[in-house]
Amino acid sequence: MNILEVKDLRKRFGDNEVLKGIDLSLKKGEVLSIIGSSGGGKTTLLRCLNFLEIANNGEIVVADKTVFSATEGEKPTIAPEAQLSFGLVFQQFNLFPQYSVIENLMLAPKLRAKRMGTGEKIEDIEERAKQLLATVGLTEKANEYPCRLSGGQQQRVAIARALMLSPDILCFDEPTSSLDPELTGEVLRVIRSLKDSERTMIIVTHEMEFARHVSDRVIFISDGVIEEEGTPEELFGNPKSEKLIAFLSAGQE
Amino acid sequence: MEQFINITLDLLVGFGETLKIFLVTLAFSLPLGLIIAFGSMSKFKPLSALTRAFVWVIRGTPLMLQLITVYYGPGLIFGRVLLTSVSAVYITFSINYACYFSEIYRGGIESIAKGQYEAGQVLGMTRRETFFKVVLLQVIKRIIPPMSNEIITLVKDTSLARVVTYYELIYFAQRYIKNAGLLWPLFYTAVYYLVFTALLTFLFGKLEKKLSYFN
Repeated sequence: MNILEVKDLRKRFGDNEVLKGIDLSLKKGEVLSIIGSSGGGKTTLLRCLNFLEIANNGEIVVADKTVFSATEGEKPTIAPEAQLSFGLVFQQFNLFPQYSVIENLMLAPKLRAKRMGTGEKIEDIEERAKQLLATVGLTEKANEYPCRLSGGQQQRVAIARALMLSPDILCFDEPTSSLDPELTGEVLRVIRSLKDSERTMIIVTHEMEFARHVSDRVIFISDGVIEEEGTPEELFGNPKSEKLIAFLSAGQE
Repeated sequence: MEQFINITLDLLVGFGETLKIFLVTLAFSLPLGLIIAFGSMSKFKPLSALTRAFVWVIRGTPLMLQLITVYYGPGLIFGRVLLTSVSAVYITFSINYACYFSEIYRGGIESIAKGQYEAGQVLGMTRRETFFKVVLLQVIKRIIPPMSNEIITLVKDTSLARVVTYYELIYFAQRYIKNAGLLWPLFYTAVYYLVFTALLTFLFGKLEKKLSYFN
């Protein structure tokens, strides 16, 4: 069963069409990497999936439920549970600076429990937060504030925070691009460990080596369309389109 | 010596009147400023244009002129006095300071990175929750220095209230010139202002320190 289906997604900023009809599907537990040069539309695609941008046209189906649908020129419909179907880890972490690590994890679930009257107990939320901190290897930093953590540690907190709401699909927007090279390893290791626990993930990345090893499938986006798609072996070992060949060889120079 | 103590106590009563303007103005202008700030940031263009024009008029004219207009204006137009000097002072000061505060709030709110709002959204928080639980404290931390500046200015601006016959500290001191030929009480009032602003500076320093655990 496909956990995610995206159909004919289009996004314009003024006259500039950034996404020109994206179709993709994802199976549960699958890891998809999106590669492509800057300005090609890969970050916009991720932002549309997380409703930080609202697509002008297209459909997003999560676990057979249409959570978003839009037709050019009409008001889009967004299901109430759409937002939490997706989680997003930002390039710039975006932790809440005034809260400690564990409070960063607990804030949104606590507010949600209160707002929805789910009756979920604070202790249960705290327990889940502690487990996730252990998963990302930061148990001993639970009471630190973000400004006292390295970039790599902040990004691992951000990953744990995104997992608190158990999204169906976890998205990463260039998760290591604002990190010093020596700190990217710890973040990539955490992402890899999530793959082993059967998380469905979409990763926009510039780390080709990482994309090759962690992904089940890779798509190459250029000028707002999916130029090429396949297994990492196919895309990196035997690229077909001229654009992809140029993109990959430019990265090696 | 006895005269010095008596005058000190008398001026303390005058300072009490000054303090009333200060506290009432803060009580009204701090929340009103937030409403004005939201108005000037509104996406509804007529509202933001109107609010900004209002802020421009209030910040662009002297507080003394505003006091005179509010207190004497109704008398000149309608031929009768509508406001006591006390309420004219409270209203004018509150509106005037709300406009200054609104610009400080606006600067603070707009300085918060977009990523904070986006993080709130993708975690399923409402815009309201994100503002009050995430953004607000960061805004407060950032606006403490300009707010403390403005609030210290307010302490001294209270002395303008005497142009509409509000009897505050300076007025109390000036009576000694007319009634007893004593000049020194007027200069002595500086001590009251200085002690009070020292206290405020100390409190703002404390608050700044309390919020220094994050950046």
